[in-house]
This record gives sequence, structure tokens and C-alpha cells, in this order.
Amino acid sequence: MKNKAMHLDDRLFSDKKLYLPLLAVVLILPWLPMGIAGPYVIRIATLTLVYMVLALGLNVVPGFTGLLDLGYVGFFGIGAYTAGLLTVYYHWSLWLVLPLAALNGALWGILRGAPTLRLSDDYFAIVTFGFSELIILVIKNELWLTRGPMGVPGIARPDLFGIVLNQPWQTYYLIFFFLLLVLWTVVRIRSSRLGRAWFAIREDEIAAECVGVNVARYKIIAFALSAAIGALAGAFYARWFRFIHPDMFKFWESILILCLIVFGGMGSITGALVGALVLIPLTEILRIVLPPEFSNARYLVFGLLIVVMMRWRPAGLLPVEKD
Amino acid sequence: MLNTLLEQSSLFLQQLVNGVTLGSIYALIAVGYTMVYGVIQLINFAHGEIYMLGAFLSFSLVTGFFGIGLPFGLAVVIAVIFCALAGVFLDIVAYRPLRRAPRLAALITAIGMSIFLQNLALLIWGAQIKSFPRAVVPAFLFAPALQFGDVVISWLQVVILTTAVLLMVMLQLIVHYTRIGRAMRAIAQDKTAAALMGVNVDRVVSYTFALGSGLGGVAGILVGLYYNAVYPTMGYFAGIKAFAAAVLGGIGSIPGAILGGGILGLAEVFGGGYISSSYSDGIAYAVMILVILVKPTGLFGRFARDKA
Amino acid sequence: MKRDLSIILTLIFMLSLLSFSARARAQAETIKIPVASPFTGPLASFGEGVKNGALLKADEINAGGGINGKMVEIVLGDELCDPKEAAAVATKFANDPTVAIVIGHLCSSATLAALPIYKEAKLPAITPASTNPQIGKSSPYYFRNVYKDDFQGDFLARYAKQVKNFKKIAIFYEVNDYAMGLKKAFIRQARKLGLRVIGAESYMAETADFKAQLSKFKMMRPDAIFIPGYAPQATLLISQARSLGLKCAFFGADGLDDEIMLKNPDADGLFVTTPFLVDQGGAQVQDFVKRYREKFSIEPNWFAANTYDAVGLAAAAIAAVGLDREKVRAYLAGISSKEKAYQGITGATYFDKNGDCLKAAFVKTIKDGKWVSAEKQLQ
Repeated sequence: MKNKAMHLDDRLFSDKKLYLPLLAVVLILPWLPMGIAGPYVIRIATLTLVYMVLALGLNVVPGFTGLLDLGYVGFFGIGAYTAGLLTVYYHWSLWLVLPLAALNGALWGILRGAPTLRLSDDYFAIVTFGFSELIILVIKNELWLTRGPMGVPGIARPDLFGIVLNQPWQTYYLIFFFLLLVLWTVVRIRSSRLGRAWFAIREDEIAAECVGVNVARYKIIAFALSAAIGALAGAFYARWFRFIHPDMFKFWESILILCLIVFGGMGSITGALVGALVLIPLTEILRIVLPPEFSNARYLVFGLLIVVMMRWRPAGLLPVEKD
Repeated sequence: MLNTLLEQSSLFLQQLVNGVTLGSIYALIAVGYTMVYGVIQLINFAHGEIYMLGAFLSFSLVTGFFGIGLPFGLAVVIAVIFCALAGVFLDIVAYRPLRRAPRLAALITAIGMSIFLQNLALLIWGAQIKSFPRAVVPAFLFAPALQFGDVVISWLQVVILTTAVLLMVMLQLIVHYTRIGRAMRAIAQDKTAAALMGVNVDRVVSYTFALGSGLGGVAGILVGLYYNAVYPTMGYFAGIKAFAAAVLGGIGSIPGAILGGGILGLAEVFGGGYISSSYSDGIAYAVMILVILVKPTGLFGRFARDKA
Repeated sequence: MKRDLSIILTLIFMLSLLSFSARARAQAETIKIPVASPFTGPLASFGEGVKNGALLKADEINAGGGINGKMVEIVLGDELCDPKEAAAVATKFANDPTVAIVIGHLCSSATLAALPIYKEAKLPAITPASTNPQIGKSSPYYFRNVYKDDFQGDFLARYAKQVKNFKKIAIFYEVNDYAMGLKKAFIRQARKLGLRVIGAESYMAETADFKAQLSKFKMMRPDAIFIPGYAPQATLLISQARSLGLKCAFFGADGLDDEIMLKNPDADGLFVTTPFLVDQGGAQVQDFVKRYREKFSIEPNWFAANTYDAVGLAAAAIAAVGLDREKVRAYLAGISSKEKAYQGITGATYFDKNGDCLKAAFVKTIKDGKWVSAEKQLQ
């Protein structure tokens, strides 16, 4: 018997018993009788799917290559602003704006990644953090481009074949489609030559280099892919939210996304999904359940969660087992 | 013409004073990062939160937030001792169990502790900015100590500077002339060898945390007074900037942290005053990134990083 | 393992559904008026006024027999002034068919995030506090009973020049939509009046150190420093300015109208615009102030007063046309001239074609740790 988590990640697309029930739950959700809570629940479900995409994207760098990225929200912001501004200024279709945003994200991922190739873990983390703070500062201050703290209102909804998707369930299915796309990509890459090269780098960079893995090249690919996924999520987010503001891309968001993959298990694809599935609705439920004086300390739970996970389940809920 | 020259030079002097004050605060915090990094190679993200706790505790003790109001001096001493203990506690609870784990695990734990402590303070004291009431703080602190032309140096600035200098001198004496200081330096050079020579590593690490956190607590109190503002997120920003200072000076080096703090304080004040005030926070990040990319050992770095 | 996983996932989904729908299955006997604002977080002190004002008005309505015999229930939506949270809260209100009107939000960025959601649900909303000029233009369903940023900035420039007779002004603004709107309108009007703006510096919301920029201002010797921004930073800024030996006056807009300014001895003499003056109002205002003090044992601020009136407007609309969203909107849009205005404690409220209100602004100042009306108002 090989280890289970490997099975889970590899079987996501091949084991009918695994994916059919999941698929059914996700697809049926908007049609469940929920009364007036329906659109609200769909909104939270959509948000959860967005964070699943983000978690999968972040997972590529710390999970697959073992480098801690503390500035992931930077790419989320770049994607959202690229898509939002192109939509507002040029009224382009989602299907034109989205790839451009992802490309822009990948470009910045490479620009950020290239000079950091030789840095050790903690210095890499610090550079990523500083980089994303600088991005947010630029978004806040360059009014001519981003409208700064005025935010960008009036972004058009997503569209498909010229039809505007204005029902909550439509945008929900749309992000689910993107999630499947991203999921398929990372699952395939994971078991490919590229994925194996990343794992080799994660386990021992020097050894990997010695056996002929082109470390620099593979790291750059990871940075670009991760950033592109983050930007894709951002682009969808901007079109779905229809308003973007620098405050939506604070450092805290990076930590939240990190939380998701730490909780699920770093490097584990199903872990990233489960992390988002549990924690994102949890923040909403906590808001409803907790008395108001505690609701702004919800994040305390997240801080504690990280510490506890690292102490007792450092590999997360659904670990990628190593032998 | 002469008039503007005079104005410009007194502006320069005033900014110099502001910058040196800010720099000495950064230095006090940066030393805590650098000492801990020196002995266990961990970026203690929660260090900024210790600094915040220092400010909040002294505030609470003097204003009677916990029921009893103490005299200012006593409150400061208690707050600093508490910060030192909190640092030790943090190490024992969160970091020590992870000494043998991958470095990533300890780093993530540090971030988790930082978020946790920040929100704990939010829960206890609320999000609103607290100010030290004038009545409970020695009045002379707010009076100008020195004034020539347009340049004003307040007593508080004098106190901050002298405190910082005194503490730094003390710290150097401790590190270089005491047994525990020697043990710290030994561990910084080679932990295993030090342990084999009979150095009690855990104990020395605890002392390091106590010293660094105590200094951070002092910085927190001084800042709380200087800006007259105490709030839960104060540690996050100051912590990041102080960390940048430590990196600039060369992480692991105490004189480096002091120099880095000074430079960063000046850069921020002059950048904010002369270049662009909206980007003044960005200066710290930019300096940090540049130093890491161009000369990762910083100005005084002794630690060649452990990567081929 | 995999079956466990699917079971867990399904359970989580079901649980969250249950918790939502249990709350949604609410009582239809009361008339719900949702109020959305930051009730926790750094701007909670502003939200406090909003909450109190709404509760006080609801009490008053209920004591008088409710609206057509039904009691009013204030439903609070805490959004921490965060656009993301504001959108979630707005979705919840928009999809509750028993809700005919929303009061909120406070921060302009939160209002702009919620705006498309209300617009789509054809749900009218009144903001008692968001002053960004974009809001009214963007949706026919958004009304406000607070004036716009451009009006305040314009007003302050005239006041500074014509009443205070200042010659040189320096501006220290926060980087946010509210403050930048004020600054822009102020500069435009100042230029017209020949009032010199000798410098403008900015700060970020999380800043605590203003000394570098203040030192620069000091050398320029302004008559006054205009602070478009919020009270938590402004109080620090003023203290730091005084410690640097700056002796000029300070003034700002309604964002500085907060209790915490009164705790700062350096803020004496600060003057701000406000839609509402406690010591000059008529009997209705005095009654409001008295009941407010009794119930909450603090002084009412303009957030409380504006929300009090906003809830009054909402109640008047529901009393007249019932809980039909379109009719409520039409009713509010119909209040379009001075004659038809709603008479509240903040004066007469009526809307222009964008749903923006036209209202008088007043000036108040801090004297011996208390807000008092400025000696001279601008007519």
C-alpha cells in the first residue's frame, strides 16, 4: 500500500468514487432549497472557490519547491488590477482580460523570482514580503493608473459568448470551471518531470543540482506558474466583485492563503482544497456565531491554528507523506 | 536668499534630530532580531509584537487599566521585565519544540505567533489608538530641552537617544565580557561545538530572548510616549522596519543592527521630508530588498549564509 | 479515507447551510431596518455613533406605536469598513425580501463595494456618512443625507478665507478617497479665492510618525494646517506638531469630529465642519441630545445625528408606501425640494436628482476640552 495522500492527489481526476460525489455536491449547491439565504450562501461558496484557486497557486512555491512566499497577495492584486483596469478603460471581454492578467502576473512572478534564485529560505520570505508591500504602495499611490484609494468601481460582470453572466450561480460555475482548469494543471504537472524536479529541489537543492536538475530554470517556472494562478484568481475576483480597492489586498491576505495550505498540508493538492473549504466558510460562520466584540479577533484563531499545526501536525491534515 | 538658506539648514537639522531619534528606536528593536537570529537562525516575526506589548503594558499599568495605577517609573520596570519573560516564554512554547524541525516550520510558527499576539492585544485593548494621559507621565518629557531658531529638541528625544546609547553600551559589555555573553557568541559560531563544550544551549537561548525582548519592550514604551500612540498593529510596522535595519547592518551583528537602525531612521525621515511622503514606508522595504539581493551579508555581516 | 473525506465535506456544506438558513428564517412581525457600518475594528468609534443613533430612533418609533402598528427592528451588519466584508453583508441584506431599505455604509470604500449589490437587487439605501462624490452618480438606489466631499472642501476654503482670514494654508492629507476628495475641492476653491496653499503632504492610515513632514511645514510658516483625514491620526499629528513648536491653527472636516480629539489638550482651538450643532439646535435637537445622553451616557456626534435622521427617513417612507422596494425608492426620490423636505434634527433633508442631499454645514471648535459652536458661522 502506497501512502494515501499521494493517492488522493493523483486520483483526483481518475477515481470516480472520489470525484463524482464531490462534483455532484459542488454542482448541486446553487439549486438546494435555501430560501432567502441562497444568494448569500452562493456568494460564500464562490469566495471559497476563489480561495481554493489561490491556495493551489500559492502551494506551487512553498509546497512544491519549499520556498516560503509571504507576498502572494501581490499577484492577486496585480491580476485584479490588470483585469479591472482593462475592463473599465477598454471594456474588453473577460476571455481577453483574463489571459492578459495571468500573463502579467507571470511576468511579475519572473521579475521577482529571478534575482532571488540564490537566496536561502528566510531571506526569500522577506524579499517576497517586501515586494508585495511595495506593489500595494504603488497601487495606492499611482492615482493616474489605479485611481489609488478611490478604488475602481463599475467593473463589468464576467461574460461568456457575449452574454453577461449576472446570476450568482453563473459566476459560481465560472469560478468552478477555472478551479478545475487550475486543478487539472497542477495535478498533471505534479506527476510530470517538472513536478519531480521541484520535489528534488525541495528535498535538497544542492543534491538536485548535482544530479543535473537545472534548478534556476525550474524555480523560475514555479514562480511564473504560481503568480499566473494568483493573477487569474485576481482577475476573476475583480470581475465578480465589480469594485477593487487597495485595502482588499493587504498583507493579511497573504497570511490567510498561507494558513489554508498549512492547514491542509503543504505540498498537498487536496490539502490546499480542504484548507480553503474549511477555513473560508469558517470565517463567515464565526462572524455570525461569535458575539460582535470577538468578531474582529477572529484572526486570533488563525494565528493559533498555524502555531498548533506546526507543532503537532506540521504536515497538515492531508499530508504528502515522505519516506 | 540668506533667509531661505537659513530655513533650509534648520529644516535639515530638525530632520536630522527626528531621524536620529527614529533610528535609535529602530536600533533598539533591531538588536532583538539580530541576537535571536545569531543564536538560532530564526527570524522572530513576533518580536514586533513584544515591542507592542511593552507599550500596552506600561500604558495599562500607569492608567490603571488592570485596576491599579502605578507610578510611571515602576510601571516601566514591570513592563520591561514582563516583555523579557514573554520573550522567553515565546521561545519555550513555540520555537523550542521546533529546533530540529525544518526552518520553514519555525518561520511559519513565528508568523502565527505574531498574528496571534496582535489579535490578542486587539481583543484585550481594542483597536483604537490609546494615548498616555499627560497627568501620569513626568511632565518634563514633553518640554523642549533645546531650542535654537526653528530647531526644537524635546526632552523625550534626549531621553530616547541616551537610553538607546546606554542600553547598547551595556549590551556590548554583556556580550563581550560576561560568561553568558561568551556562551552566546560560542553558540552563534557553532551550536554543536558549543554544546559539546558544556554550554547549556537552551539556557543561553532563553537569556538571548530575554535580553532582546527586554530591549524591544523599552523601545515600545519610548515609542508609545514619543508618538503618544499605542495600538495593536504598531509592532507589525515597526517590526518590519527594524528587521530591515537588522538586515542592512548584517543580520547577526549587534553593531550592524545599531548602524542599520540609524541609517534607516535617517533615510526614512529624509526620504519622507524631501522626496515623497506617500512612499516613506516603502523606503524601508526597498532598502531591505536591495541589501538582500546585492549584499546579503549587510554592512557588518559575519554570517555567510549556509547555501552553496 | 476517501469516503470519510466526502462525508466530512458534505457535512460541512450542510452545516453551514443550516446555520445560514436558521438565521434567515426570521420573524415577519417586525419591520427590519438593517444598519451596516464598522462596529468593531479601528473605526468602531464612528460606527458606535451610527448604532446608537439608529437604536434611539427605533426606540422612539416603537414607543409611539411603531410603523402602522408594526415594531421596528434594527439589524446591525458589521463590516469593519472592509470592502470585502461590506459586500458579504450587503448580499445578506439584499436577498432578504422583508428588507425594503438599508441604512449604511460608513466608509466610502465599503459603500462603493456594496453599491452594485443593492443596485442589482433594486434595494434603496441611505448612507448617513459616506461623502465620496461617486456614490450618488453610480446608482439611482443610493441616497445620502450627508453632504459630499466637494461641498465640504469648498466650504472650508471659504470659511478659512472669509471668516478666519487665513493667508497661507498647508494641507496634510490621508491617502484615501475621502481625504483626497476634500483636498481637491479645497484647493480648487482656495485658488478662486486667492488663498495660498503653500504645501501638501500625505500620510498613510497606518502612520504614527508625522514629524518629518511637519518639520517641513514649520519652515513654511503657514497660518493653518488643514487635515483632511480621520481623528485617530489627526490627534497624533496635532500633538507632534505642537511638540515641534508649530503654533499655527488646525482645521479639518467631519472626519475629525470625534470624542478622542477632546482628550488631547493640544487640540484646543481645532475647528471642524459638522452637519449638526448641539448647542444651537431647536427643541427637537435638545430633546435628541437629552435622550441620547440618558440612554448611552455619552455626547452624540454627527454620525449619530445623521443616522437618527436616516432611520427617520426610512421609517417615513415605509409608513407611506409599505415594504415595496421600488415604491420606497420612488418615495425618497420624490423628496426633491425644500418644500417636500424631511425635517429632522440635522435640518431639512431633500435630494437632488443623484440622490445627494443639499444641506447646510456648520463649524464647531474645541474650547477647554469641549466642542462648542464657532463664534462665526458662514452664511
